[in-house]
Amino acid sequence: MHELSMAQGIINAVLETAETNNATEVNEVTIEIGRLAMINPEQLEFILGVLIENTIIEDAEIKIENIPVEIECDDCEFHGNAVIDDKDHYAPMVKCPECGSYKIEILNGKDIIVKNIVIEKPDD
Amino acid sequence: MHQVADVEVAKNIMDANKKLADKNKKNLEDKGIFCVDFVGAIGSGKTTLIEEIIDNTDYKIGVLAGDVISKFDAGRIEKHNVPVVGLNTGKECHLDAHLVGHGIEDLPLDDIDVLIIENVGNLICPVDFELGSHLRIVVVSVTEGDDTVEKHPIIFKTSDVVVINKVDLADAVGADADKMVDDAKELNPDIKVIKSSLKEGTGLDEIIDCIDTAMKN
Repeated sequence: MHELSMAQGIINAVLETAETNNATEVNEVTIEIGRLAMINPEQLEFILGVLIENTIIEDAEIKIENIPVEIECDDCEFHGNAVIDDKDHYAPMVKCPECGSYKIEILNGKDIIVKNIVIEKPDD
Repeated sequence: MHQVADVEVAKNIMDANKKLADKNKKNLEDKGIFCVDFVGAIGSGKTTLIEEIIDNTDYKIGVLAGDVISKFDAGRIEKHNVPVVGLNTGKECHLDAHLVGHGIEDLPLDDIDVLIIENVGNLICPVDFELGSHLRIVVVSVTEGDDTVEKHPIIFKTSDVVVINKVDLADAVGADADKMVDDAKELNPDIKVIKSSLKEGTGLDEIIDCIDTAMKN
């Protein structure tokens, strides 16, 4: 159930940036979730919905962008996105799409990043 | 009047834990302590394995024992006369670097040369949370089913050693221990795989050798 701690981290990051920028309301929050982060986006959205109640984020649209898994293959030197087959299993199996080797380095796709927010603020 | 503004946040939520994990590692290294963290399924034998390592090595061991709400595991370790701190995660399914950092503060670091961390039984969530260890060992047993490895690929991809425990029970539960070995090797060609039966005393020497080797490197 670590969606809860992740959601709290996201809310803190949003509120901190909103406050620094004198926001009166947050209209939109964009979050990037790597496909290898052990997070279920639907559960995360559900918990975010609970945590934003009675805050200036309450009416914001939460946009979640899934980030592909970027890999480099030790065997054939392929560099690019891994093939993820959700039908196989929720936790994606990661292997080289070129040669099928599992001997790969994961370069990107494990992070959860609050990318940007759209806020309303008083005129300067 | 008001205006609408698009503001960049660019905050990586994982970074906070990673920074604390790096700090834990540095604090331990400053004291010359090598850290092994055990992750694994519920009931796979993590605590028993740690007890066996304490009883069968000359290391000065300290333990951080993670559990959701109880101190059962810490109580078991305490009987082996090593310093232990029980860490309760409460509602959470994993230890994180912050909790471990506090646990480290409560251990007599000058009297320890190997710190063992036992995570909460879980093959999924601990993947996202580095703790600051030098070696991660994942423990599963045949009784969880011989598809356990292929069903949880990422933890096997990101660990250094896998222990497949309770192999003496494989026939009784209809599990193929060699399939689990093959699955782990396929997912992570670099992982060291050890079959063990702590009840019958097999595999323990190999596990201790792994820790010895990692400490020298």
